[in-house]
Amino acid sequence: MDLSLNEHQRMLGQSVRSFMERRAPRSKIVALQRSELGYEPETWKTIAELGWLGLLIPERYGGGGASLTDAAVLYEEFGRGPLPGPFFSSGVLGALVLLEAGTDEQRHRFLPAIARGERVFSVAITEPARSWGPHGIAVTAERHGERYRLNGTKLFVSDAVAATHLIVAVRTGPALDAASLLVIDKQTRGVSARLLPGFIGWQAEVTFDNVEIPAEGLLGTRENEGWAALTRAMERAWPILCAYQVGSCQAIFEMSVEYSQTRVQFGVPIGRFQRVQDHIIRLVNHLDAARWTTWEAIWKLDNGRPAAASVHLAKAVTAEAHIEACNAAHEVHAGIGSSLEYGLVPHTQLSRTLFNYLGDPKWHKRQMAAALDW
Amino acid sequence: MDFEVTYTEEQQRFRAEVRAWFEANVPAGITREPASAGESHENYQMRRELGRKLGAKGWLFPTGPQQYGGGGLDVDDAIILEEEADRLDLSLPPFYDSGATMGAPTIAVWGTEEQKEAFLRPIYRGDVRVWQLLSEPSAGSDLAGVKMRAIREGDEYVLNGQKIFIGSANGTDWMWTLAVTAPDAERHQNLSWFMVDASLPGITVQPMELLGSGGGGEHGHKNTIFFEDVRVPALCLVGGENNGWKVASTHLELEHGGGGHIGRNRLWEGLLSHCRKNYRDGQPLTAHQDVRDLLADIYIRGEVGRLFGLRNFWLTYARQPKSYEGPQASLYYKYAGLWMTSAILEAVGPAALTTDPRWGSNEGFLEGQQRNGIVAVHPGGTADIQKVEMARRIGIGRTTRQAAGKIA
Repeated sequence: MDLSLNEHQRMLGQSVRSFMERRAPRSKIVALQRSELGYEPETWKTIAELGWLGLLIPERYGGGGASLTDAAVLYEEFGRGPLPGPFFSSGVLGALVLLEAGTDEQRHRFLPAIARGERVFSVAITEPARSWGPHGIAVTAERHGERYRLNGTKLFVSDAVAATHLIVAVRTGPALDAASLLVIDKQTRGVSARLLPGFIGWQAEVTFDNVEIPAEGLLGTRENEGWAALTRAMERAWPILCAYQVGSCQAIFEMSVEYSQTRVQFGVPIGRFQRVQDHIIRLVNHLDAARWTTWEAIWKLDNGRPAAASVHLAKAVTAEAHIEACNAAHEVHAGIGSSLEYGLVPHTQLSRTLFNYLGDPKWHKRQMAAALDW
Repeated sequence: MDFEVTYTEEQQRFRAEVRAWFEANVPAGITREPASAGESHENYQMRRELGRKLGAKGWLFPTGPQQYGGGGLDVDDAIILEEEADRLDLSLPPFYDSGATMGAPTIAVWGTEEQKEAFLRPIYRGDVRVWQLLSEPSAGSDLAGVKMRAIREGDEYVLNGQKIFIGSANGTDWMWTLAVTAPDAERHQNLSWFMVDASLPGITVQPMELLGSGGGGEHGHKNTIFFEDVRVPALCLVGGENNGWKVASTHLELEHGGGGHIGRNRLWEGLLSHCRKNYRDGQPLTAHQDVRDLLADIYIRGEVGRLFGLRNFWLTYARQPKSYEGPQASLYYKYAGLWMTSAILEAVGPAALTTDPRWGSNEGFLEGQQRNGIVAVHPGGTADIQKVEMARRIGIGRTTRQAAGKIA
């Protein structure tokens, strides 16, 4: 038993942290909140050059061939920002879906370009008035000879505005799980992505208006195998998303402890008040619940153990923990916490945005129960 | 990173040896809940006898130093022993003995050579059962405010005072306690730590009627203990006169969850089995979505608690620096247990409240949780005290962080 990171992982974590301090300090994160894409092209390019964008992509497809544990170290540090931008959408979820669903030719075509940062992928699954799951896919792709024609709307699609390519889950048959995955160049006529306004981070409405693509846009060789591939990819992507949220919880924990030491009211640092202490204790308990459920799930995946129940558990715990941790941090900070300049709000908005993303906690808990065979 | 212990072939052989030994030496029915005081005493004797047999092999305190009769085994072997005991629903020691499990490490850290020789060997061999005596009627959360007096007279200390919420059923051989040896000194500098022979004249043990007691089990049964001019040899003062508060930091750290824990979640296993076998509206409870959702939340809290225990176990045995993790785990168990009382009541219905052999669950298994989930919020430091400890160690509102207690 050894719950520590190895030397290589500790060094990776340190390099990412010092990179973040230089290139994405709190002031930069705050400034990025108003940007349409969520990232700066130079930072994107550097992260690709450092090999971090393609960290999880196997070496034969131009990536780093790293373990999920390594990727989790990277994303936990990103989450401390929280660094916005389509890193997870393209470098983790997009890449893993291509790996699970694509033919060897398709992997060779897209994955090296993802690792180099030249193509940016976003995965479009959810739709208006639909729940999570294969039955929630209503956008149809009709086959006309050598082409597919798409019509419909995908909603709450992360990083769709920044993306150059979309992986779209479409309905290709009447069976409940008859879903297929299509790769669509966002330049294709009839595709449009519109950033959703409000207390939500970089999610978009994507519409397909008589969009025609060549049949080789289908990932894999057969229709209706999309949901199974998506599930395999997500089982590995969920805990990386969790690690990103753990990093966010860790940052607001540190922010809150520091504020409790420096903010003086009634002549003493506010952290001397037990009611303020209670908020931070609640915060750290949620942080650690998220941290250890996430790391155990990742350890199981990296070591070939049955991991489904642990992965669903980690996603449910982390989504709830992130919201609770942010709520506690706001109680500690009171007024200043809601200032858009201060740097707490990006975390809070993230916690809300990711709560339902790739399955909400209730759905994950039910999947966990099914995986445990109750 | 590795969440599991990897066993060598030698360790696998050790496991086989342990399992065979347990099969040959653990009496049938030892884990059956005793129904009366008589049965409880009989069961206790059976468990003490097993304890002595384990002690002779060095398996009662497997990591205790061999020179004082401990097993001298490494952590992996100790885990094997704990897991094999756990398989049979037993713990090590197989009876209520928190005074020894927390007292022995305290003596190992603070005792003189002579004291280690005198106290550790009988504990490690299973010859004595030990209780810890901390709370008093006017000193609960404010433990440093204890009033029990110990006055030096020649080669002895004379102890007077009262302790409450102590021990279990069936008595004890030894007890240790904190008493005031310098009434005029400052708080935290006025206490000393004593190991006391329970058979000394002047000690009276009076059982308390508490929500947690019930059945014939040892746990939950507590006592008030009166000390009237109890003469204790000076050798029994451990860790130096007026140094008792520092000595106590060792066992308080352990009591606050600092040692960590690995093992099965027996509550969960019992609950799931109840929900599979019992019906509502013609369907097993596990077929109802509302019950499944509650079970998921109950299971998750158990898993988070397990991971906190596992983390603390690893921090302890890998000798990693610790901060707030001990009281955090303790706080988590307390709140999770209390929350579970209402979650289980909602999932299972009123069957959770009765010990009735026909309508209750698993011989009152769930009924015990309904009571103990409430009671467990307070011993070993209330939930609020765990929060105070966490805040100090995290450094909330202060830049000097308090260190965790020294446990090895």
